[in-house]
Amino acid sequence: MTSTISVTGLTRRYRNQTALDDVSVEIEENTITGLLGRNGAGKSTFMRIVTAQEFAGSGTVRVFGEDPMENDGVLRRTVFVREDQQFPDFKVRHAIRAASWFHPNWDARFADSLLTDFELPRDRAIKRLSRGMRSALSITIGLAARAELTLLDEPYAGLDAVARQLFYDRLLADYTEHPRTILLSTHLVDEVADLLERVVMFDRGRVLLDAAADDVRGGGATISGPVTAVEDFVAGRRVLHRRSIGSRTSVTVSDYLDAADRARAAALHLKLEPLSLQQLLVHTSGGPADLEATA
Amino acid sequence: MTTLVKVTRYHLLDRLQYVVLPGGITLFSFLVNLTVFKMFPPPDGDSYSGGLVTLYIWLFIPATLTVTKSLPFGFALGLSRRVYYLGTLLLMVGLSTAYALIITALQAIERATGGWGTSLHFFRIPWIFDGAPFQTWLTSFVVLALGFVYGLWFGLVHRRWQVVGLLLFIAAQVVVLLGAAMIVTGAGLWGKVGEFASTLNVYDLTAVLAAVTVVLAVGGFATMRRVTV
Repeated sequence: MTSTISVTGLTRRYRNQTALDDVSVEIEENTITGLLGRNGAGKSTFMRIVTAQEFAGSGTVRVFGEDPMENDGVLRRTVFVREDQQFPDFKVRHAIRAASWFHPNWDARFADSLLTDFELPRDRAIKRLSRGMRSALSITIGLAARAELTLLDEPYAGLDAVARQLFYDRLLADYTEHPRTILLSTHLVDEVADLLERVVMFDRGRVLLDAAADDVRGGGATISGPVTAVEDFVAGRRVLHRRSIGSRTSVTVSDYLDAADRARAAALHLKLEPLSLQQLLVHTSGGPADLEATA
Repeated sequence: MTTLVKVTRYHLLDRLQYVVLPGGITLFSFLVNLTVFKMFPPPDGDSYSGGLVTLYIWLFIPATLTVTKSLPFGFALGLSRRVYYLGTLLLMVGLSTAYALIITALQAIERATGGWGTSLHFFRIPWIFDGAPFQTWLTSFVVLALGFVYGLWFGLVHRRWQVVGLLLFIAAQVVVLLGAAMIVTGAGLWGKVGEFASTLNVYDLTAVLAAVTVVLAVGGFATMRRVTV
């Protein structure tokens, strides 16, 4: 597998905050990767550095094997519409027209059908679009560009459930026909969980988890039962969260549990509950206390 | 269509900023001047209005706004800083060429109609816009380009270092001018400076302004190199 994005030891500090702390990630070609994490976890900074909108503090960034900074060859193959994207003072159709000039694989008919599906008024000034409509415009540009590297940053802020479903359907259908590398940052984790092939989870500028989505889905679990039995079972595993009520305890681990593990848990009369991506995110990037408990 | 031309066309999608406002406001200024001169014809025959300065100001202002308004989406479209900047300079060349041509044409009409029938000198300014049509075009072009790159640099400084940076940028310019004045005073060179200024013809002035334009364009590019959105 070739990596579209290859990041090693990437650190970015701002005056009073470390946005990215020694991040090393490989994003494989022609996959849909979910960039998960809380607000301020470093997802947007990561995407901005990958697309050369922001500068790396230290570390190396390679996109299509090259440094993206001031690299027209790389940037032309990339589209990145931000969550807080600012537009010039023009209309929806102007934004679409401008995007069609700069993206070599632009599909005008696809753009047109997306605008129709999202019921976006082509002649309306972008300034006067609602939050959801602006997201729909960003999605339209991001998808119709068919860029080899497509970055979507919280693409559905303000979109209603119907429009979000439309976005998932169109994304998946178009991705199947035109495979490309898609990086999708989000905190609506469970909604997109089925779309994702890989998951990269950020917390306070660090990569908490970088795994195939299937492994993550089948992976983590919450084990409950008597304290001694549970502690015995989770010994040596990556513990994310503990909660005790009296003599019973409930421990969440991120490890993959195989058949033997499950049989052992059954023998110990322990209750196993699979962990959803969303729960995993909540547990892994909860509060400082949680992290210290696992240290 | 090369990428730079596309960047220029991208800017021009916002017609209001680069065409309607500069052209419209200058036209308005001209009509106001014309009306005033019709109502109160100047007693001594020839009068100068100075209203043309409106156009130069209205190319400085949109240039300052360009960075705020069109750079973020330019990045979203996959433009590098270099391509965005050079494409914006191409816009400057295009706009300055077009506006300078219009000024030259209107000046010819003004001359032919005896100042629109009222001795109005709107497009004729003594010494600067007084000579051959080509000289009017050239000087106009340079002054328009100067206003544009100066505005562009302001916008870039603001994008990179916000308001504090902008204030320091202005302060630095004042310090540079003050420093130059002190050096001239200290060396007792004001007489020489006056002599130089008095021997200057309009082509020399145009050349000096062109050099300043180039310096400003290079400064803007240096600022652009590390701009983020």
